[in-house]
Amino acid sequence: MLRFTLERFAGMVVTMLLVSVMVFLIMEIPPGDYADRYAFRKYSGTGVNVTEADIEAIRRDLGLDQPMLLRYFDWIGGIVLRGDFGQAFAFETSVAKVIGDKVWLTAGILFATLLLTYLVSIPVGIYAAVRRGSAVDYGLTVFSYLGLALPNFLLALVMLYFANRWFGADIGGLFSDQYRDAPWSLAKAWDMAKHLWLSAVVLAWSAVAYQIQTVRATMSDELNKLSVTAARARGVPELKLLVKYPARLAINPVVSTIGFDVNRIFSELPIVAVVLGLTELGELLLKAYLDLDMNVAGAILLLLTFAIVFMNFLSDLLLGWLDPRIKLGV
Amino acid sequence: MSKMLSVENLSISFRTDEGVITPVKGVSFTVEKGRTLGLVGESGSGKSISTKALMQLLPGTARLGAASRMIYTAKDGQQISLGNLRHGSKELRRIRGGEIGMIFQEPMASFSPVYTIGNQMMEAIMLHRGLKKREARQFAIGMLNKVGISNAAARVDQYPHELSGGMRQRAMIALTLSAGPALLIADEPTTALDVTIQAQVLDLMRDLQRELGMGMIFITHDLGVIAQIADDVAVMYLGTIVERGPAKEVIRNPQHPYTQGLLDAIPSLDHLHDRLKPVPGDIPSPTARPGGCPFHTRCTQAIAGTCEVHEPPETSAIPGCAVRCWLHTSQGRSAA
Repeated sequence: MLRFTLERFAGMVVTMLLVSVMVFLIMEIPPGDYADRYAFRKYSGTGVNVTEADIEAIRRDLGLDQPMLLRYFDWIGGIVLRGDFGQAFAFETSVAKVIGDKVWLTAGILFATLLLTYLVSIPVGIYAAVRRGSAVDYGLTVFSYLGLALPNFLLALVMLYFANRWFGADIGGLFSDQYRDAPWSLAKAWDMAKHLWLSAVVLAWSAVAYQIQTVRATMSDELNKLSVTAARARGVPELKLLVKYPARLAINPVVSTIGFDVNRIFSELPIVAVVLGLTELGELLLKAYLDLDMNVAGAILLLLTFAIVFMNFLSDLLLGWLDPRIKLGV
Repeated sequence: MSKMLSVENLSISFRTDEGVITPVKGVSFTVEKGRTLGLVGESGSGKSISTKALMQLLPGTARLGAASRMIYTAKDGQQISLGNLRHGSKELRRIRGGEIGMIFQEPMASFSPVYTIGNQMMEAIMLHRGLKKREARQFAIGMLNKVGISNAAARVDQYPHELSGGMRQRAMIALTLSAGPALLIADEPTTALDVTIQAQVLDLMRDLQRELGMGMIFITHDLGVIAQIADDVAVMYLGTIVERGPAKEVIRNPQHPYTQGLLDAIPSLDHLHDRLKPVPGDIPSPTARPGGCPFHTRCTQAIAGTCEVHEPPETSAIPGCAVRCWLHTSQGRSAA
C-alpha cells in the first residue's frame, strides 16, 4: 500500500505542475492585460491623452513586461515557496486578502455537499437495489428523475421559502448578522453550520439523485454475483454480507468520480450562491475575468484544480483499499 | 445407512413476465450418510434449482409447491423441515454452511476477488466453529493443506486471482469444508476445469467424503463423472426425475430412452470413426413444457396417443431402480 500511495502521490504532484502551466496559459489567452484596463479606468473621461508609452510604463510598474516564462516561474514560485498568490490589481491588495475567507467558505460548502451526497446516496442506493422492484424502489426512481430535472436555483428558492417558514432560518448568507464580521469562534462556526445545510442540500440534491441510480445499478449487478450467493450459502448474516461483499465493490464508481463531483458542485455554486446570498469564489472568478485581474482568476482556478486533483488522489487511494486488485496492478 | 435428507414432491415455480413457469415438478430423492447421489441432466433440467431450494438460495420470485417436503436430519439428530425455516433466522444460517455446504462450478466467481482466501475461510470458520481469529487462521491453513495446496501458510494470504484454476477449486473445497458440513452439494465442481485437473479434484472429493463421512449431492451433466463418483444417480429432464437407482445399475442397464441417449452421447475411444450421437432435438423452454411425458418431443420410441397425452407414473422394473416411462408399464407396452 505504501508503494501504491507514493506512486499516486508522485502522479498527483506532476499533474498539479502541468495544471499550473495550463492555468497560467489560460490567464494569458484573453487579449490585453491589466495594464490596458488600468489605464482605461484611471484616465477614461478625464480628457488625458494616454499614449502607448504610458501604458508601457504601467505595465513595467506591474511587472507585466517580463517574458512569459519568467512571469510563470515568478508566479508559481511565490505560491509554492511563500504561499503568495501575488497582487490583486483591481482590489489594490494581495490576492490572499481578496479570496481569503471565501476560500474557506467555498471549501466548507464543497465538503459539506460531498459528505451529504455520499451519506445519503450510498445507503439509499444499496437499499433500492436490495428491494429492487418494490414500491420504495419505484418511488426513489421517480425522485431521481425529479432531482435531475429540477434546476438548482429553483430548488434553492423553494427551500429558502420553507426553511424560513418552518425553521425560521434567516434568508440568505452563511452567517447571522451578529456573526458576519465577528472573528472566528466556535459560536460562529455553529452559526455557519446552521446556514450551511441549506446550501449543501440544494447543491447535493441532483448529485444524490444521480448517485442513487449509480449505486443501485452497480449494486444490482453485484448482488447477482456468484460470490454473494456462495457467501450466503456459508451462512454469513445478511447485513454483514451486503456490506462486506457486494456493497464494497458497488460504491467503486461513486468513489472514482469524487473529483468530478467537486468540479460539478463548483460549477453549480455561483447560480445557487446568487439565490442564497452566499459570498463564494465562483462569482469572484467571473468578476476577476471581466476585470482582466489575472492573479485573482489564476489563484481561484489553481485552487479549484488542485482541489480536484487532490480529491482524485484521495479517490485513487480509496479505490486501492476497496479493491486490492487495483493496487496490485492486475 | 441412515437417511440424512429426504426430499419429496419438490415443485418450484417462478413468477416471470411471461407468466408462471415451473422448472421443477414433483421431484423426490434421498441422500444417505456417507453416500453420493448424482443428479444428472442437461442445462435447464432443474438440478441446480432443486439443490438451491434446500438452502433457500432461490430468488424472491420463487415459490415452493404446497406438497413439497424437505426433511433434513442435522448432526445432532434433530429433524428440520428446510422449507419452513424463517429468512434470516439463526437456524437457517447454521444450516447454510454448517450443516449443508455448497461448491459451485466457477471457482473464480465463487470467491470474492477483494478478500484473501484466508479472510473468506476464517469468516466461515469463526461463524460455524466459534474459533478466535488466530485459531481460525491455523485451522484454515490446516484445511488448505488437507486439500493438497502446497505452501498453505503463504497461500492463505493470497487473493483468488493469484491461484490457478485447479488450486482455486481446491481452495473452494477447503473453504466449504472448513465450516464442517455433514452434507456437501457440489454443483458441477469440475466442469470448468481441465480434464487432468478434473480427475484430481474428483479423487480429492471422494477421499474427503470418505474421511469426513459426509453425504454428497453431485450435480453434473456428465454420466462419465457419475460413474466415477456417485453411489446413486437420479436423471433429471425438464424438472422431473425420469430415472433413478444405484449408479452402476443405471449406467449398465439404462431403462429410460433419455438415459440411454445420454450414455450413447458419451464419446468413446473404441469407436473413434463413428460420428457422435447426440440426443436429438433441443431441450424445450420451461415456458413451453410439453404435455404428457416431457421427453416425448425428443423420444425415438414415443408411443403415439399415449406419451404426449398422459404423464407416465414412476414404476420399478428392477429392484432399487425406478423409471418414469410408458414403455415400462403394462399399459404402455400393450399400447405399443
